[in-house]
Amino acid sequence: MTSHPSSPHSTSSLDRRSLLKGFGALGGAAAGMLGTAAVARADDISSPVTTAQESSRTAERVDFYGVHQSGIVTPRPATGMVVAFDVLATTRPELERLFRTLTERIAFLMQGGTPPRLDPKLPPADSGILGPVVVPDNLTVTVSVGASLFDERFGLAPKKPRHLTAMEQFPNDALDPDLCHGDLLLQFSSNTADTNIHALRDIVKNLPDLLLVRWKQEGSVPLIPARPGAKAESARNFLGFRDGSANPDSADTALMERIVWVKAGDEPHWAANGSYQVVRIIRNFVERWDRTPLLEQEEIFGRKKASGAPFGGHTEQDVPNYAADPKGRQTRLDAHIRLANPRTSATQANLILRRPFNYSNGISKSGQLEMGLLFIAYQADLEKGFITVQKRLNGEPLEEYIKPIGGGYFFALPGVSGPSDFLASALLAPGEPT
Amino acid sequence: MKRSIFMLATALSLTLGAAGAQAAVSPLDLVAPIAQYKVYVTKELDAFVAATKDFTDAVKAGDLAKAKALYAASRAHYERIEPIAELFSDLDGAIDSRADDHAKKEKDPTFTGYHRIEYGLFVTNSTDGLAPFADKLMTDVNDLQARVKGLTFPPEKVVGGAAALLEEVAATKISGEEDRYSHTDLMDFQANIDGAQEVYTLFKPLLAKDAKNEAFLKKVDANFASVDAILVKYKTADGFESYDKLSKKDRKALAGPVNTLAEDLSKMRGLLGLK
Repeated sequence: MTSHPSSPHSTSSLDRRSLLKGFGALGGAAAGMLGTAAVARADDISSPVTTAQESSRTAERVDFYGVHQSGIVTPRPATGMVVAFDVLATTRPELERLFRTLTERIAFLMQGGTPPRLDPKLPPADSGILGPVVVPDNLTVTVSVGASLFDERFGLAPKKPRHLTAMEQFPNDALDPDLCHGDLLLQFSSNTADTNIHALRDIVKNLPDLLLVRWKQEGSVPLIPARPGAKAESARNFLGFRDGSANPDSADTALMERIVWVKAGDEPHWAANGSYQVVRIIRNFVERWDRTPLLEQEEIFGRKKASGAPFGGHTEQDVPNYAADPKGRQTRLDAHIRLANPRTSATQANLILRRPFNYSNGISKSGQLEMGLLFIAYQADLEKGFITVQKRLNGEPLEEYIKPIGGGYFFALPGVSGPSDFLASALLAPGEPT
Repeated sequence: MKRSIFMLATALSLTLGAAGAQAAVSPLDLVAPIAQYKVYVTKELDAFVAATKDFTDAVKAGDLAKAKALYAASRAHYERIEPIAELFSDLDGAIDSRADDHAKKEKDPTFTGYHRIEYGLFVTNSTDGLAPFADKLMTDVNDLQARVKGLTFPPEKVVGGAAALLEEVAATKISGEEDRYSHTDLMDFQANIDGAQEVYTLFKPLLAKDAKNEAFLKKVDANFASVDAILVKYKTADGFESYDKLSKKDRKALAGPVNTLAEDLSKMRGLLGLK
């Protein structure tokens, strides 16, 4: 969580310092080895094949407490996972116990530490998949709620965020009901897939009577070798294109206030500093895409595949000049990036912050690869944000190669201010004005 | 960091209940409840043999309606004592395996037992060709009875059986995949719960000796009651409604107490000082 609005990237040097203190010599030694590790590993053939990967980054930690939840504007690590749940609580006190327990578990998992050692005749308190000491490994767990949480069960209907509904079916969607919606959604992200799974198993084990897993999707983003002095590059999706070149700068606090965070006046009072979250499991027909001529691929996206640059530009950061190309001679009028962000002053109101991962899930019945994009986006206004953008994209040529099959609309809760606060405390406060 | 660990400890003491406590139960204390459990298993096995006899007779006589009617109730005896029956994995496979456990599924010649006959009765809708399966089932069930007679009941298997039955419910009964041809899952569901409750009830007095277990016992009692309260809604004169009738809401409502019972009962062995 970003307790200081001026430094939204919580893995700051300050955090690293406190964390090195916490992990003592171990952390220091790991950091010291960083420089030579990459070189040494390339021709080191002495370690057995099953030796664990070494990482100098397992001690990285993101703040849990803050005005906003972490995992939204904090930098996206290499792996992510979303898990939707049905809430099994039937009363308000049970719902509060759910959020209080979630708060305690997430605070511990993001902080790291040693789980209690129980009598060995009992099942252990922790799954142990990260070893006897739980490392933070850059973990964030972001909690959001679906429209169904505001049904008759808990009397929360008057507090429902204005635009929150069950995700609608767009024309190109083929939504599988078993992959859609949910009362609650957890977005895990960290440096390592196993760290996300460890956190999920901890939560499932600690809340068996209150949460039931509904659907789950894991994903990852490719790592790019560090190149000193070079500009940051966007990661590529499974269509081979850079995804996120035009994403607003998540380090720009003022911009995030405008695009991502809900403000008090627009929504029920409790929702301030939360954010609308859209999750879409978008299958890519990759065999077919790989049989499509490069020029056509580039025209469909509106960018050069290798560099990510828009037509007429040189780098992915270059901004296309659509005003000078009204007939679409350079960038097709129905190119993906042009429809998604037409870059007019009016469409500035439709900007969203994307934080997607690539996913790969086995194969279809026809033996084709089941993979695609785990699209995750945040915005202060769902209607002006994702819904408007998706309506512009409806019918785009890219649709021939993609098929949204699941996901949902959720509302990411405001942050937890400190150890005496808990997730959804404002939502559940009895005297809270709506 | 200190605070988090403190919070964790608080959370665990809430969720684990008495798990941190070591009950002062001596191995001798376990003798009586295990003997009582053996009586229960013996009675259920006697009933299982008799019911399987009626069931296989109906199959061999070509009485389709009667065989269908007897199917669910006869196998319920097996589902109640599964932790013991499963100790003989060859017989468990022969009596109770599902098509998924065989490479060629329903067509696999090694697929035998209750579910193979269920497939014939409810999918092929005929007793044709089922007589050899009926004979083999009867032989296997008699064999099971004979083997259990000579068995010394391992305490950790008996006590652990309560949790094992709940794992069974959580993994295969909630989804309705156990009796996929007849949809009589609720009968098995209830039988697994009954079997777990039997074990729990026999050992509860030992656990109750330690005041620290009070919250644990209260929670387990409440969750058994929740499950029973939902299942009773689907009871009919001669069994249960078809599993398809179970509402989505009730299916979810069952998952909570079932998963919680699985978590809690998994601590019973440790609480009784068993490995």
